[in-house]
Amino acid sequence: MANRRKVDYEARGAYWMMVLPAFIIYLLVMAFPIVLSIVLSVSNYSGGQMFGGTEKWGFAGFGAYAKVFADPLFWNALKNNMYIVAVSVFGQIPLGFFFAYIIFRRTVRWPDFWQSVLYVPNIISVIVVALLWQTVFSPHGPLAEVMNAISRHSFEKQLNVLFAATGAAVNGTFAPNDSLVTGLLKLVGTAGANMFENPFPELKDLLLSFQGSKIPEVMQALCNLFVPGWSPEFLNRPDVAMLPVLFVILWMYTGMYLILFLANMQKIDVQIIEAARIDGARESQVMNYIILPALTGTIVNSAILAISGSLSSFALVFAMTGGGPNHVTEILAIYMYNKAFLGASNFPLANAISLIMVLISFILIIITKQLEKRFGGKEE
Amino acid sequence: MSDEIKDTAWTRLGDFLGKFFAYFIMVIFALMTIYPLFWLVMNSFKTTSEFQISQLAWPRAPTFDNYKQAWWMGDFALLFPNSFIYTIGATAGIIFLSLLAGFAFAKIPSRATKPIYASFVVGILLTTNTLMIPLFLEMNLLQLYNTRAAVLLVYIGSGLPTAVYLATEYVRSIPTALVESARIDGAGFFKIFMKIILPMSIPVATTLAILNITGIWNEFALINILVSKTELKSLPLGMFKFSGSLSTDYGKQFAALTIGMMPMLLFYIIFRKQITKGVAAGAVKG
Repeated sequence: MANRRKVDYEARGAYWMMVLPAFIIYLLVMAFPIVLSIVLSVSNYSGGQMFGGTEKWGFAGFGAYAKVFADPLFWNALKNNMYIVAVSVFGQIPLGFFFAYIIFRRTVRWPDFWQSVLYVPNIISVIVVALLWQTVFSPHGPLAEVMNAISRHSFEKQLNVLFAATGAAVNGTFAPNDSLVTGLLKLVGTAGANMFENPFPELKDLLLSFQGSKIPEVMQALCNLFVPGWSPEFLNRPDVAMLPVLFVILWMYTGMYLILFLANMQKIDVQIIEAARIDGARESQVMNYIILPALTGTIVNSAILAISGSLSSFALVFAMTGGGPNHVTEILAIYMYNKAFLGASNFPLANAISLIMVLISFILIIITKQLEKRFGGKEE
Repeated sequence: MSDEIKDTAWTRLGDFLGKFFAYFIMVIFALMTIYPLFWLVMNSFKTTSEFQISQLAWPRAPTFDNYKQAWWMGDFALLFPNSFIYTIGATAGIIFLSLLAGFAFAKIPSRATKPIYASFVVGILLTTNTLMIPLFLEMNLLQLYNTRAAVLLVYIGSGLPTAVYLATEYVRSIPTALVESARIDGAGFFKIFMKIILPMSIPVATTLAILNITGIWNEFALINILVSKTELKSLPLGMFKFSGSLSTDYGKQFAALTIGMMPMLLFYIIFRKQITKGVAAGAVKG
């Protein structure tokens, strides 16, 4: 009896020695901040030393929450979070599933290659991703260069035809005539004509000044004059600034869902599929009756990961747009960050936002538990 | 008979179109991944003025100057050791602590297991990004702001929920008889942990290492609010420096991004298979 009791004590001691280090750190990093945010969100704390400081702070009511809910920027940020979730649910998850499916069913060769390539964006730092795409979408980025090169190229082609038809090119040098001027005015349309007060004579004078020049030079000059420079102002235009962000999110995480789905498809017994095919099942039937049912849990799991992921996609948006222009690409985490660190710190407000995000997470956890009951068990 | 032939012909056409469509989308997506990264590396060898003339052309006179200057301006000589310290320190901490707790949860009966283990599982969906501001204030309160300890603490704490879940599930699958017979032979719990559990947990430890190494190496949001001293910064923070006033100095920016992205790319090339497996195993919702 005494002996057993001794064993119990030893086990209990060992248990706590093993659990406590992890549990204390967990409480410090997860639980305590939640408590702190509850306290601060209903206080008038405005920075500085929290305890024993000169500035007194205390309970100040629920004004911070009222302010958050009355702030259109909060709803805008929440909407952007929803957009990110929507891109995941309607973009990444179906695409990831499609890619996993065609790899799993060997529709495409080199499964390892595709899988590896599509996962690369997950491996490199979000900062690299954000700054890379920021440059791509910038007004003078490679997109602009490609688009402008294309429109110049097609304009040059049209000029070539026009030069040949009007006989304006004589032995590689330029010899303008009236029909060229008419043709050119027709080609550039109203946009080009608007450049001149009196189109025909003015353009003719201009062309005559090139008399005897080499054809490529003339082409170059005409392109500069008439081909409008296109620039993708996505990131500067409030109405579309969110699109590049959503595109990059789609680009980044589709590979992750591909890996998730593929790993779970590979758990399906291939013999079942082969037997079904031999019995005359069509590919669509294999999909509907074997693969989809086996992956229901994974799909639900992915949707939940997508929502919790949208709450933590701070770094990408922060580095790519910083929430701008004019707050339109702010997501909840950025909105919170800006309230705390941009301009005058408003810690009660920032903590209220933090707590709202935590509550969204908790709602998510409850939904997960419910879904788990319905779909039964874990499929990972 | 002829119907059957027609049928197979149609099926073949369908198969062909399906294959074509599958390859088409796959190739587009793959190019969208490979080309931008290739473009980034290629332009890191151009001077900024050459970049502005043409962003798509091959560099005319490849130069390493960008790298030299980016290395110096970005303080990469400081950032690399820091990134290693944070990544290795936090990953080792997460693995050790989660296996320790997982062993206790799985093999030492206690009434405390249910609530404590459940609280860890809840944390899986609770991302620390949402707690950025209170964490910042807490670290100030504990006077840990601008210390390595704060970064390590937060990284370990963030990684623990998933790790404890995976470790506990794994240790549960180790036969209890092994632990019991060692107990009868007089071994203490810590000895059992070091001699039996730890060596047997290498698979789950590998998964945890894979999951956390990539995550922590690339982490930005939290370390961004925890440290402001250059001596304590990690690679992502260093790269971000090139987005501000240096953002139009494309050559140097791209060189900095290339420097920052290479270690993980190499890590991925070497451990591709394990990473893929680890990601699938680690995507748990609790």
